Amino acid sequence: MPVIEYKCPNCGSGMIFDSVSGALSCPSCGRQDNIEQIPDPLKRQVFTENEVKEYHCNSCGADIVTEPETSATTCSFCGAAVVLSDRLTGNLAPAMVIPFSINKDQAKQAFKKWCKNGLLTPSGFMSADRIQSITGMYVPFWLYELHNKIEVHGRGTKVRSYTQGDYHYTETQHFDIYRRIRLNYVNLPIDASEKMKDELMDKLEPFPYNQLKLFKTPYLAGYIAEKYSYTDEELFPRAKDKTRSYIDSYIASTVSGYSSVSYTDKQIDTTLKHADYVLLPVWMVNYDYNRAQYTFAMNGQTGKVVGKPPISKAKVTGWFAGVSAVSLLSLKLVSWMMGGGFL
Amino acid sequence: MRKRTPLAVMATLILLMITLVAPSIPMSSASAAESKNLIYDEANLLSEQEKSELNLLANQYGAERQTDFVIYTTNNVENQDVMLLTEDFYDEQGLGYDKKFGNAVILTMDMNNREVYLAGFYKAKEYLSDQRLDAIRTRITSELSSGDYKLAFEKYIELSYKYMGYEPGVNPNNILFNGWFQLGVSVALGGIVVGMMTYRSGGRVTVNRATYEDSSNSSVIDRQDRYIRTTVTKRKIEKNNNNGGGGGGGTSRGGHSHSGSRGSF
Repeated sequence: MPVIEYKCPNCGSGMIFDSVSGALSCPSCGRQDNIEQIPDPLKRQVFTENEVKEYHCNSCGADIVTEPETSATTCSFCGAAVVLSDRLTGNLAPAMVIPFSINKDQAKQAFKKWCKNGLLTPSGFMSADRIQSITGMYVPFWLYELHNKIEVHGRGTKVRSYTQGDYHYTETQHFDIYRRIRLNYVNLPIDASEKMKDELMDKLEPFPYNQLKLFKTPYLAGYIAEKYSYTDEELFPRAKDKTRSYIDSYIASTVSGYSSVSYTDKQIDTTLKHADYVLLPVWMVNYDYNRAQYTFAMNGQTGKVVGKPPISKAKVTGWFAGVSAVSLLSLKLVSWMMGGGFL
Repeated sequence: MRKRTPLAVMATLILLMITLVAPSIPMSSASAAESKNLIYDEANLLSEQEKSELNLLANQYGAERQTDFVIYTTNNVENQDVMLLTEDFYDEQGLGYDKKFGNAVILTMDMNNREVYLAGFYKAKEYLSDQRLDAIRTRITSELSSGDYKLAFEKYIELSYKYMGYEPGVNPNNILFNGWFQLGVSVALGGIVVGMMTYRSGGRVTVNRATYEDSSNSSVIDRQDRYIRTTVTKRKIEKNNNNGGGGGGGTSRGGHSHSGSRGSF
C-alpha cells in the first residue's frame, strides 16, 4: 500500500505532526508518540519506481488527487493526512528533515507582524486580513558538500607617495601573487523544487542545521511535501554559482596589504563530494491585495519572511520627501553652524 | 499614515522654495528717500540709466549688510597709485553706512593704468578679507576687461553682499554653502534611502561566505608574494603665482585701516 496514514491507536483518528512538541500527536485524544521511537512503515516497504499511478485514501477510499511532485498531502475529501510512500523511497528517500517548529497560528501571527513592519507597504496591506491560504510545505533541498581546489595568480601593487623639493613622487611596487587554497563548503542548500523560486528560497536561509533529524515519514503528517524535481548533478552548476562569490571574497581576504590587486588567472576546481537530500520546512502564504496575488515564504524554523510585498506610491513619495527634507534641513543647519548663513 | 504624506511633500516644497528664492531677494528694501549716491562715476563708464539702477541695487543690499557698496571710477590724470586713490577717496568723502568713516566697500577703477582695487573698511574689513576681495575681483575681471562695466559692478555688489553673509574666516565658496548642492545631496539621499527600503522590502540574504564554509578543512596551502620591480612617477608641484594682482590692505592717511585686493584688467 503506497499510502501511509497514521491512525491513533487509542481513538482511531488521524494523527499529525505537532510542531510544538515535535511528536506525532492525535488532535482528538491528545496522544503523543515520539517519532524517533516508532518504526517507520516506509522502511518495510519495497517499491519499484513508478509502479503506482493512483492513490486511494485509507480513511474514505476517495482518489487522492495530487501533483506529480507531491509526496505528502491531505485527502481533499476527508482531510486525513496522507503520505505517498513510493515518492519517498529509493532514490527519492530523503536523508534528513528539519521539522516545523512554527505551527499554523504562529506562522499567521508572524506573517501579520511582518506585514505591519513594512515601511513602504500600503496601509490596506498592513492589516494582513486577506490571507488566502497558508500552507506548511516541506521543500526538497540538496545539501552539498563541495571541495574546491583553487589556484590564483595575480599582480599586486603597493603605492607610496611623498613630496621632495618641487616634485610629488608616486612610488609603485609591483608584486607577483600566487595563492593555492583549499576551500570546502558543507551543507550548502540548493532548493530542488521546480515550483519554488530560487531567489525566494535563497533568502529564506539560514536554516538551523542543528534541528536536522533523520528522515521519518510521520514528520510529514499534516503537511504538504514535495519530491525533488532536479537531481543533485543537475543542480551542481547552481551550487557552484552560489559559492562563486564566497570563493572570490575568500581569495580577496587572503590577499591583503596591497593598494590594488588584479587577477591574471583564477582556477577553481570544484568537486561534488556528496549531496544530501533533505526536506526543509517552509510556510507558503498566498495573499490577495487589490486583485493581485502575492506569494510569501516563511522559514518554518526561524520565522523569517521573504517575498515582494506591494509598494505604496504615496508612502514612497512620503519617505522620499521626508528624508530629503530632513537632510536638507540638517545640511542647512551644518552650513549655518559653520558660519555660512541659514539660507 | 496617509495624512502625513502630503504634509511631508508640502514641507519639502516650502523648504525648496525658501532655499532657491530667498537668497535672491534682500529682506527689506531701502525706500527711495533713504537712498544716497554710492556711484562716483568720474570716468563716465556708465549711462545715467545704468548709474541709477546700480545705485538702487547698492542701496538695497547696503541696508541689509549695514555697509556702503561704493563704486568709484576715475581717469586718474595725476597718475596716482590705485590703492592710494582709494584710501584718499575714502578719507575725502568720509564714506560709511553707519557714520562718517564707517562701514564701506569701495571698488576703484583706475582707467589710466587699467587697474582695479577693492577695499573694505570696518565691518567690511572684517567680513571681506583680502582673500574674499580677491575672489570677488577674480570673478569680475573678465567683464571689466571686455568693458562690460554694468554687469561687473552688479556682480561686485551682489558678491560683496553675499560674502558678507558668511562669518569671517569661512570660505564662502565652500560647496556646503551652495543651495543647489545641498538640494542635490538631499534629493540623492532621499532617493538612496527609498531605493534601499524598496530593495530590502522583499527580505534579504542573511548568509555570508562564512555560513557554509568548512573552516577546519579550508586554508591557504601555498602562498607567494614575489617582488618584481618598483616604478616611480614624479609630478611638478604647481606654484600659485598670481598674475597681475594680489591681496593686501593697509591704512589710509586718515588712519583708517582696510582690507584690499588689487589687479589689472
